[in-house]
Amino acid sequence: MRALPLERTPQPGVLRARGIALIRSREATVVAFIVVLGMFLEAVTGRFLAPTNLANVLLNSAGTATVALGMTLVILTGGIDVSVGSMLGVAAVAVGYASAAGWGLGPLVLVGLTVGGLLGLVNGALIGFGGVMPVIATLGTLNILRALTFQLLRAKWISDLPPTLRDLGLGLALGVPISAWVALAMTLVFVYLTTRRPLGRHIYAIGGNIEAARLAGIDLTRALLFVYTATGMLVGITALMYVGQTGIVQSNTGSGFELQVIAAVVLGGTSIMGGRGTVVGSVLGALLVAEIKNGLILLNISGLAEGMVSGVLILLAVGADLLRLRGKRP
Amino acid sequence: MNSFLRFIATDRPRFLILVLALAFVVFALTTAEFATLYNVFNMTQYGVEIGLLALGETLVIISGGGSIDLSVGSMLSLSGVFMGLLTMRVGINVWLAALLGILSGGLLGAINALFVTRIGIPALIVTLGTLYAYASAALVLTNTVPISGLPEHLFVLGQSKVLGVPFQVLMIFIPVALVLHVALRRTIFGRNLHAVGTNEVAARFAAINVGAVRFWVFTLAGLLAGLAAVVMTSRVASARPDAGVGYELQAITIAVLGGTSILGGEGTVLGTILGVLVITVLSNGLQLASINPIWQLGAVGIVLVVTVLLNQWLARRGLRLA
Repeated sequence: MRALPLERTPQPGVLRARGIALIRSREATVVAFIVVLGMFLEAVTGRFLAPTNLANVLLNSAGTATVALGMTLVILTGGIDVSVGSMLGVAAVAVGYASAAGWGLGPLVLVGLTVGGLLGLVNGALIGFGGVMPVIATLGTLNILRALTFQLLRAKWISDLPPTLRDLGLGLALGVPISAWVALAMTLVFVYLTTRRPLGRHIYAIGGNIEAARLAGIDLTRALLFVYTATGMLVGITALMYVGQTGIVQSNTGSGFELQVIAAVVLGGTSIMGGRGTVVGSVLGALLVAEIKNGLILLNISGLAEGMVSGVLILLAVGADLLRLRGKRP
Repeated sequence: MNSFLRFIATDRPRFLILVLALAFVVFALTTAEFATLYNVFNMTQYGVEIGLLALGETLVIISGGGSIDLSVGSMLSLSGVFMGLLTMRVGINVWLAALLGILSGGLLGAINALFVTRIGIPALIVTLGTLYAYASAALVLTNTVPISGLPEHLFVLGQSKVLGVPFQVLMIFIPVALVLHVALRRTIFGRNLHAVGTNEVAARFAAINVGAVRFWVFTLAGLLAGLAAVVMTSRVASARPDAGVGYELQAITIAVLGGTSILGGEGTVLGTILGVLVITVLSNGLQLASINPIWQLGAVGIVLVVTVLLNQWLARRGLRLA
């Protein structure tokens, strides 16, 4: 959690200590990784810093970053949501059908948010009211919602969609993809939520020590319902981006997406045990994941090797961070 | 009635037996072919590979401290590919290749174990990384083309019967399950494993080598994935580089369905076997009722959520009744 601003003019020693804390933070490691990898790619290929390429990296990270915001809150409470990929499938089908029926942008956004939010609410209710462990509940909904996606599509694709969502998926504003602006706006909302609102503090408290949080009078059910529903709504937003970007919905839409999001969150330094981490770290993690994928394309490395490189880099980034700071970080 | 509820609710295996019996009755009444002796024996072969993975997952999850292995499916794919390449490209004897395939699974598991125990990266992150890395290595090594043309005498493992029961059930799965059952219940290793999973700090004070226990469960999960790869290669007569895709979540689902606590310290071989049986009966029954195969996965999800919810509700009720 961020320090409370007790003093208006901090002493130089305090500033220095804060500076060291900033350098030692996981966010700093991820930024360093992003910069070094970017310099390497630019030096080798000379194409990484081209505006269109950078826009591409942002475009590919927007969806992951958006859902990673909600996943961060979920993991901060000590939970996990492995159903986001399947939720994306169902939400994309709903948005796809509505779009094919010629609905306008406003109603489509409403469809995405409502469907995503309802699916998230189901997870939240199973966990908050039913007392089911998060891994188990969301493993269950992962399987159920994937089956539902197949059922809704009846082995067909939704294609030939009107261009309502194309701007959200592919358009640029000031040289930056609109979907990245959306992700940025969502990030600001979640930074505000986690650092300035009581609910944000409750979420950290639950992950830190659930018994202490309960005794402190925090409404656990309300917080759990919130984090899972918020994740679902963010998935709904990502479904809008996805449909706009690809113009097509298939039955395997979103399959494997959950691992990509979880990878971004843990790369960004959020502790899988809950209670520690920031949404900014997760967004940086999502950027790193997209940069790695982009680098493989620039370097002409076979798409088949993508998993090997991503997997090894995940282990390297987290391992190096742990070894470097062994015992130094509280 | 109340004492019956308590009897069922307090014990996951009993509860699963009830679910299994219910599923059996429903399928026997709705489809003619289901309750034939041939079908009942025959369907068990499809549970062997996922069952071996689920047993490995059970051991890993029991060891606690957030231990979980997301890479079991990828280890299955990669060790199957190793075995296929050793036979077809290197040209060594297929049985030796199968043995080396199993050992390579153990090696992949040991790599997971080293990252978890030596560097201290949480298991979820390590195995998320190796889930990607191993799966991708299998694709790169084969260039996505399944390895076929393996010698036919290998197929005895996955395509023959002993006493009317599929070979791999009677000669591989049951012996492995028995050994693991005894190892968990009757050996020092089993006692240490439960101790580490229940309370890591207390286990350390009791002079149990926590790192060594975790190292072995991750390695065992790899060995079991290697064994599953050999069985699968033999059953489908080729080594597919994507053979294990998506199996990790199924393996975890089965372990949890069988009563393994995701927090560690709790779980039994018997429970996991019942979990495999429930899933196998469901897929087979739905298949015979010609319901879209994708609903087999959906049904697994529904059974998982309903079982855990119902079990918890009954347990709460049972406690109040007691």
